[in-house]
Amino acid sequence: MSITRRVFLKNGAIAIVGTSIVPAFLTRAIYAAETAAPGKKRLIVLFQRGAADGLNIVVPHGEQAYYAMRPNIAIPRQSVLDLDGFFGLHPSMSAFKPLWDQKHLAIVHAAGSPDNTRSHFDAQDYMESGTPGVKSTEDGWLNRALGGLKEPQASPFRAVAMGGAVPRTLAGSVPAVAMSDIRSFAVGGRGPAGNAASNTFEAMYEQSVDSVLHGTGNETFEAVKMLKSADPEKYTPAAGADYPRGRFGDSLRQVAQLVKANLGVEVAFADIGGWDHHVNEGSVQGQIANLTREFSQSIAAFWTDLGDLAEDTVIVTMSEFGRTARENGNRGTDHGHANVMFVLGGPVKGGKIYGRWPGLQAGQLYEGRDLAVTTDFRQVLSESLTRHLGTDNLQKVFPGFEKSSPKDFLKFLG
Amino acid sequence: MPATRKALVLLSLVTMISAALLVAADKKEKKNQSQTAAAQMDDDKKIVHALNRFTFGIRPSDVERVRSVGLDKWFDQQLHPDKIADGGLEARLERFRTLKMSTREMVDNFPPPQVVKAIENGRKGLPHDPAKRAVYEAQVMKREERQERKQNAGAPNGDNQPVKNSPASNQLPSNQAASNQLASNQAGNSTSSNNTNADMSKASGDMQSDSKPAADDSSLTPAQRKAKQKQREDAMYADLGTGPQPSNSTSTPGNNMLPASAPAAQPNPATQPKPGAAAKPQPPASPSTQSGASQQKADAMFTDLAKSDDRLLQMPPDDRYKAILKMTPEERMDMADSYRGGKVFKLVEGMKPENQETVEAIVNPQMVVGGELSEGKMLRAVYSERQLDEVMTDFWYNHFNVFIGKGPDRYMITAYERDVIRPHALGKFKDLLNATAKSPAMLFYLDNWQSVGPNSELAVFGPGGRPRYRGRYQRFPRPQQNKNRPSGLNENYAREIMELHTLGVDGGYTQKDVTELAKVLTGWSIEKPQEGGGFKFNERTHEPGDKHVLGHKIGNHGEGEGMEMLDILAHHPSTAKFISKKLAMRFVSDNPPQSLVDRMAETFMKKDGDIKEVLRTMFKSPEFWAPDAYRAKVKTPLEFVASAARASGADVQNALPMVQFLNRMGMPLHGMQPPTGYSMKSDAWVNSSALLNRMNFALQLGSGKLQGTAVDQKILLNGATPADSDAALAVLEQGILSGDVSPQTHAVMQKQLNDPTVTQRKLDDPNRTPNAGAIAGLIMGSPEFQKR
Repeated sequence: MSITRRVFLKNGAIAIVGTSIVPAFLTRAIYAAETAAPGKKRLIVLFQRGAADGLNIVVPHGEQAYYAMRPNIAIPRQSVLDLDGFFGLHPSMSAFKPLWDQKHLAIVHAAGSPDNTRSHFDAQDYMESGTPGVKSTEDGWLNRALGGLKEPQASPFRAVAMGGAVPRTLAGSVPAVAMSDIRSFAVGGRGPAGNAASNTFEAMYEQSVDSVLHGTGNETFEAVKMLKSADPEKYTPAAGADYPRGRFGDSLRQVAQLVKANLGVEVAFADIGGWDHHVNEGSVQGQIANLTREFSQSIAAFWTDLGDLAEDTVIVTMSEFGRTARENGNRGTDHGHANVMFVLGGPVKGGKIYGRWPGLQAGQLYEGRDLAVTTDFRQVLSESLTRHLGTDNLQKVFPGFEKSSPKDFLKFLG
Repeated sequence: MPATRKALVLLSLVTMISAALLVAADKKEKKNQSQTAAAQMDDDKKIVHALNRFTFGIRPSDVERVRSVGLDKWFDQQLHPDKIADGGLEARLERFRTLKMSTREMVDNFPPPQVVKAIENGRKGLPHDPAKRAVYEAQVMKREERQERKQNAGAPNGDNQPVKNSPASNQLPSNQAASNQLASNQAGNSTSSNNTNADMSKASGDMQSDSKPAADDSSLTPAQRKAKQKQREDAMYADLGTGPQPSNSTSTPGNNMLPASAPAAQPNPATQPKPGAAAKPQPPASPSTQSGASQQKADAMFTDLAKSDDRLLQMPPDDRYKAILKMTPEERMDMADSYRGGKVFKLVEGMKPENQETVEAIVNPQMVVGGELSEGKMLRAVYSERQLDEVMTDFWYNHFNVFIGKGPDRYMITAYERDVIRPHALGKFKDLLNATAKSPAMLFYLDNWQSVGPNSELAVFGPGGRPRYRGRYQRFPRPQQNKNRPSGLNENYAREIMELHTLGVDGGYTQKDVTELAKVLTGWSIEKPQEGGGFKFNERTHEPGDKHVLGHKIGNHGEGEGMEMLDILAHHPSTAKFISKKLAMRFVSDNPPQSLVDRMAETFMKKDGDIKEVLRTMFKSPEFWAPDAYRAKVKTPLEFVASAARASGADVQNALPMVQFLNRMGMPLHGMQPPTGYSMKSDAWVNSSALLNRMNFALQLGSGKLQGTAVDQKILLNGATPADSDAALAVLEQGILSGDVSPQTHAVMQKQLNDPTVTQRKLDDPNRTPNAGAIAGLIMGSPEFQKR
């Protein structure tokens, strides 16, 4: 499969390069296709906004305290998809089970931010800036990580966020493209008038003496044309890649299209909201079940969809904080502390739960109520960046964070 | 003889002198002429520069007007906005009632989730006014339906989040806002999707998810919902005498699951909580039924809904309004469901402003609050004659940023911008600082309202208070009622006030200063933030004892401690420098010359932080007029959108589509989540997606395709009647860019004039002048127009 594709691409590249005049963007796209795609590492960052209930997602079914504290919303032991005799996946996440069995999926439990804020607002901000407790940080950790990777011929699609604006995680000096829909990433819509307007603007920006606008203008039109030429829409989901309906599935489907179209995606960001289950969270069924189903099915579909390209891909998930170990009076949970992170990818040593489990006994809970943080989320990100993307400026990515060196890695990437 | 000689000499002298004088006069005149010629150019450029910096963009006639008044005088006028008549703007803002309301009035008229919950729980009664009542009832119904849906275990997409205030959380129920997309939480305008209709439904307090409407509603089982809907509608239209729509073929077996109760028999939701929950047990739909067939049903249902909507839309506006008020609460809720998003504008078209507001509030009250706020801001930027006042209000709002998506702040920002920021925008900095420090919006946004001194009465003795204060009926110590009540110092505001509002991050303060200032500010709180209450100093949460901040010893005197510290901060040299630099960055360049900043800071110190005087010093500084400052600033999205509307003389009847473009460009109004406010540097605003959106906005505006905004070709051409397309181009380049068009852009434009697809010239009429709007769109999307 991979050989066929490579040969095809190579032949295709030669065929096109052979013809005399080739626009720069096209050759770049083709070379990118040939050289960048296989072996090119990429990191996909997924954010669960609203504070997901990690204890009902990766269930510590070996903890009696878990069942004692959640009389109505605990996932019964016989329902969980057991992973190692102690932890199990929520039953609606069956899409993750094969990935676990194939050892592509690793789980880091009791991970989170050291900051004790229980405000979504602050906690998301801290997690996206990568600087817990520091509000004045202007850029996001993922952007700073790219800043340390030399990339003179970077593709405009190097950093992509699915959504209308560049998220905080990707904000910063390295150009990042935000798109809510790859079909609408163009000027003047489709049709001849749009094309003509687009060409006019391109010529204006091409010749602009303003260096910033000139540069970004070129980048933009290159991206628009690359997108048009690569026509990512023709990459329909691979067989078996069944994306569920909804924005999150749409986002991942489009990220897969950009990756498969060899547009040089190095990092991508998408998010899924709706985890703030204060009331009627549900158990085997209900809100949590629906959302974890959508979440896991989307990611599993993305994984299937990438095919061989998944080998060079690492996916990391996070949420601003976890939820209270006890259920509240409304069969829901309130804002807590530690949470669970998933790491999925070709190079990932999966099939294992990483991190230290702090326990759910009365004396073990953080502030008497929440799962304690035993792994800083930045440890997980540091390892992903260093081991996968080859980032070497971690002191700039996570300033002041002392556990970003290899000795603090959990070693899910070797 | 001597007399004759004398006379002769005199005569010759006079002749000589007069000749010399004449020559001199001639020379002087020539010199004057040449000077005038040079100065004329400079002056015009100066006028363009000043207009670019002190306004939201140049209207075609502005340069001429400033020239006739004189630049210095114009600037002085702008420094005194109260002396500038602004009737045109006031007329445009007249229809937005919330802009004149107090926070309390807004909460009362446009109930937020907390108020709706209070009604549902019977803690609050429904209002008597029929319009207001209709708004309340719809919200109560919506709330019930949402909860019902949540209990439905088989909901295919558990997307909508419960509205619940967690006692442990310092967030309010609508904190889902923050957990949605960053900076995308405008009521009625969101950035997170291109589906602008769906965007409108995302008022964050409403906790709608990002899912498509179909997904939202399908959780109620399409068949049931459709049938229910139809039943209600038929009843409604029968009542209105328009006749029910014939039942069509999409009816399904789901019909028999309907409750027997007719809409008219609906119990009052306020007196009988959750009637729906009892009446309509929902069978859990298994996930497998969620695709295919049921989706088709859902689609059919929406087609159906759309058809019936037409009947309502076809009524005259007044009848339509009456019909809506006549509906049962359930019917209105269904109407609200089907008119979420941009569709509501069709529904309210032609109605009186207050009726429009009522109908919009039935659909979504938060949308009215947030929508009017952002529309008001946009219209002010475009139409106010007090342009510098608008620019400075925007500057200070951004400096003292508050995020609309954080809980009840949505209802506080209107008053914050109007009563806290605007009155001091050109006043004294200390007044501005004090006003923000006491504003509920800021106290809530940066959490100070719940900061509790560790040794305060509340922390030490609990809610029951000091034993000696207890009355004789409370002899026994009361158990602490709420273990999760805030009980510690919150440093958030104390940190930001020094870092972002006054001294600057390098202004010379330590973590110790932050902690001590936080102690000083304990007790600065809000009276019932959920209900629109104002500032209150809470003695019981105030930390006792001396505090030491920035080398000053602050004695124990309650609220006065904060006042003392604010005064110290407002007059600190670091503050003078920090504020001066930020102003220079807004008005001069991304990296302003230090000499200019120093001069401004000196004025700041000398004139007690008088913002007018600091601006005047800047205006008189050579650095402000340096050639390399000319058109050196990249416009922010707000500046870009407002300047395009001003340059094209657009008539904005509905500013929300413009506001939505700002979201897509990454600058939602009042929607900056972190307290830093938006960046004033170009690199934040020049990125691919934002640039594409600027071009698309320009094209839409120019060609008249931007909803709610009309561009008149005659106004665009500023009265000129160009003979051919070249002449039209020249007029437009002058009008929109004040003639500052690069040869490159001009050449590109000229070339394009021959392309009928660009200029929208009719192919069968080659002599017809091209569409000025299409050309204007291209000019407004050009690199030149991105700068000011």
